[in-house]
Amino acid sequence: MMAGMLRRLPKSVVSLKWYQNSVSAYSSDALKQKEAPIVDNSVILDDKEMKEREKLTHLVNLPKEKTLASINGVPEEHVKDRRVRIFIPAKNAMQSGTNNLNTWRIEFDNRERWENPLMGWSSSADPLSNMSGVVEFNTKEEAINHCEKNGWKWLVSSEERKKKERVKNYGVNFSWDKRTRVSTK
Amino acid sequence: MLRVPLTRAICLTHSSRVLVTASARLQSNIPAKAPEKVEVFIDDQPVMVAPGTTVLQAAAQIGVEIPRFCYHERLAVAGNCRMCLVEVEKSPKPVAACAMPVMKGWRIKTNSEMTRKAREGVMEFLLANHPLDCPICDQGGECDLQDQAMVFGSDRSRFTDIDHAGKRAVEDKDIGPLVKTIMTRCIHCTRCIRFASEIAGVDDFGTTGRGNEMQVGTYVEKLFLTELSGNVIDLCPVGALTNKPYSFSARPWEVRKIDSIDVLDALGSNIVVSTRTGEVLRILPRENEDINEEWLSDKSRFACDGLKRQRLITPMLRKPNGELEAVEWETALIGVAQAVQNAGDKVAAVAGSLVDAEQLIAVKDLLNRLGSELLCTEQKFPTADGTSGTDFRSNYLLNSSIAACEEADLVLLVGTNPRYEAPLLNTRLRKGYVHKEQDIALIGPKVDLSYRYEHLGNSSSIVQDIASGKHPFAQRLKSAKRPLVIVGANALSRSDGKAFLAGLHSFANQLTPEDKNWKVWNVLQTNASQVAALDMGYKAGVEEIVAAGPKVLFLLGADGGAINKDNIPKDCFVVYLGHHGDNGAPLAHAILPGAAYTEKQATYVNTEGRAQQTLVAITPPGMARDDWKIIRALSEVIGTSLPYDNLDEIRDRLEDVAPHLVRYGRLEENNFYAQAAQLAKLQASSLQGDIDVKQRTLADFFMTDSISRASPTMAKCVQAVKKAQATA
Repeated sequence: MMAGMLRRLPKSVVSLKWYQNSVSAYSSDALKQKEAPIVDNSVILDDKEMKEREKLTHLVNLPKEKTLASINGVPEEHVKDRRVRIFIPAKNAMQSGTNNLNTWRIEFDNRERWENPLMGWSSSADPLSNMSGVVEFNTKEEAINHCEKNGWKWLVSSEERKKKERVKNYGVNFSWDKRTRVSTK
Repeated sequence: MLRVPLTRAICLTHSSRVLVTASARLQSNIPAKAPEKVEVFIDDQPVMVAPGTTVLQAAAQIGVEIPRFCYHERLAVAGNCRMCLVEVEKSPKPVAACAMPVMKGWRIKTNSEMTRKAREGVMEFLLANHPLDCPICDQGGECDLQDQAMVFGSDRSRFTDIDHAGKRAVEDKDIGPLVKTIMTRCIHCTRCIRFASEIAGVDDFGTTGRGNEMQVGTYVEKLFLTELSGNVIDLCPVGALTNKPYSFSARPWEVRKIDSIDVLDALGSNIVVSTRTGEVLRILPRENEDINEEWLSDKSRFACDGLKRQRLITPMLRKPNGELEAVEWETALIGVAQAVQNAGDKVAAVAGSLVDAEQLIAVKDLLNRLGSELLCTEQKFPTADGTSGTDFRSNYLLNSSIAACEEADLVLLVGTNPRYEAPLLNTRLRKGYVHKEQDIALIGPKVDLSYRYEHLGNSSSIVQDIASGKHPFAQRLKSAKRPLVIVGANALSRSDGKAFLAGLHSFANQLTPEDKNWKVWNVLQTNASQVAALDMGYKAGVEEIVAAGPKVLFLLGADGGAINKDNIPKDCFVVYLGHHGDNGAPLAHAILPGAAYTEKQATYVNTEGRAQQTLVAITPPGMARDDWKIIRALSEVIGTSLPYDNLDEIRDRLEDVAPHLVRYGRLEENNFYAQAAQLAKLQASSLQGDIDVKQRTLADFFMTDSISRASPTMAKCVQAVKKAQATA
């Protein structure tokens, strides 16, 4: 047994390291160990098992898919024919809040909707319509990546516009020589 | 209250006004020293701001939003709702953030105990007299008062109406067919008053009474007669002013909002189309600092109910007995294709005012393949013998851009009434007039532009005098730093339009503005399709078609009346491709139903030359289809297939023809001013008669194209305005 072990050791450097590690792990304070150390049992492996183990130490190269479209099972028409618009939502003219205008959104091309004769609700045959304007991205690039991964044609339609600086002055309402003076209140 | 201020009284004499503006200009000659920034602390976060910045703006810079009702960034500061009260360290009382300029080193606390208490107090006072009718209020779901009551209001009420005395109630006002008022809901923020007097220039609104008796209104019963009245609906933070045609029809969370472009004037205002179950319910403005800021004209906002009426929903062919018969697409296309095949190269097309670029290019490609060059737009533009006035883009664009119009110091308007031809350009001019001491002069009929202007007369000889430098106003233009000449497209479509173009264009080129890149020559188009059509090489005006006498004539939504029964040959086969059964459709032998601007993804180029695209909000009704797809299908039946099958391919074709057509949202520089003016000069003719404009009063504003003519709301507006004018 021991002779066999000595015969094998110089062959595999990896297993030698394992052996040394396991020895040193035992020699240090065992109480500090959180999990069981890896014990080198390579000595009892046969050649076939040895090859298997060696295979596992290498990096695995998976074929790199650019799009998920071929594996995600989305019907072809919702990959090929969809156009996505990437945009920052515009401020609602009816309200003054601006908190939801800071993220990028995606929106799909609009498909037909009709009034459902049963309840009068709005019906649609478009499974992606409810994703429109809901999914948020921090940057334009994230949104573009997402679209490319899913195989959608995309278009960035708004730029980040810098807000115009305005001078706000209560006094101009009462200035005597300017046209900003107000008459009605 | 509703009083004439002292300055107005002083300004009544003209000379004093000139003095005032002269002194203001003197002051602006002194170069301004770059102001040093001051540091303030918002919730212990340091921020550097320019001196004079208000507390509210400083907080906004680091993303802290202070609640407000009366403050609006595009209106003057009023400071009367008190919702924006915040604590400033070492100040015994809370300060109104919207009106208070920051001081160096101030520590502002937007979330302290004092601030919270102040907000709760204000909220309690507002709600004590605000009806609890949110369930039946149209503002519900997009109401600032609702939202802010939830976030900043107290969690319990002290309002116990044990005597059943009820809340304060105010009688509703009738201010017209567009804006519905429920005045009990009013919280007296005065935004509508400020909008009316500052932006719209109509001093109709004001307050009467004080304290609990205060009321917002027109004092005497009066319609709010302005082309911008719909904007007070957006501005109103509560449900006091709501959309009358849209009332009780939907909640904001039920509708789908699609960003799009307005095509009812040539500005291309950005809009949001709200739809539900394949129906456009309302149109709201979308913020675009370069075009429409945050406003929208009433026609663009309320004409959307015209999209449901008078629609062409099925292809039609005229039977031998003269009746139009509904047919299948196949039959219609074969019928048209036969006529086209028999006509040889005697085929022509006229583009109306609402046509998109995709359709224009498809029709142009088809006709060119058939060997015809007879492609025209309805509206004329001075072109002549051999050379064309539309060879250079700068000839027919609003070159200086819409946003720059407010920066000008002297504006000459010729043969245009911007207030009704392009209401949002007029608000720019008014902004310049109010805030930047801009002076404006007009050649044309005396109309109400909502600001004071110098009326130079309406004789076309004045144009000649200015062009030759004889008129005293020519001298003022020469000495101005940023002069603008804005000529209306309708003035240029006169028979002597060449003379306008030749005279004023070369005069504009002679001017030496302070900034070398400042553009003086500007044309204000009135049709949304005109610029794209001219960019693509359509000829302006239908004379050539009338002279050629085509055998097949395509009317692309041409409802303006340039083509009529009398000026085309009797045996001419007319094909109408459009979405409304308006003036053009009765002429037709074949009708191919197309899509309106809310129903297609299409390109439009606005009067400043900016390409923008509409998006599909709903699908076209019935058997109607995308216009360019109809042409594409027809080309196949004729036997000369066009080489594009989808939107990307046709846009590639657009890019081949003119790259700017697909650079959405961007403004391309124009050039060749000198050459354009020289070319125009070669064809100069003399001017005759007076200058007139098509839209003089508000009644002429509402119905100008096939969509607004089909809209019952627009009809009501015309009626209301005429009634008001008759009694006034």
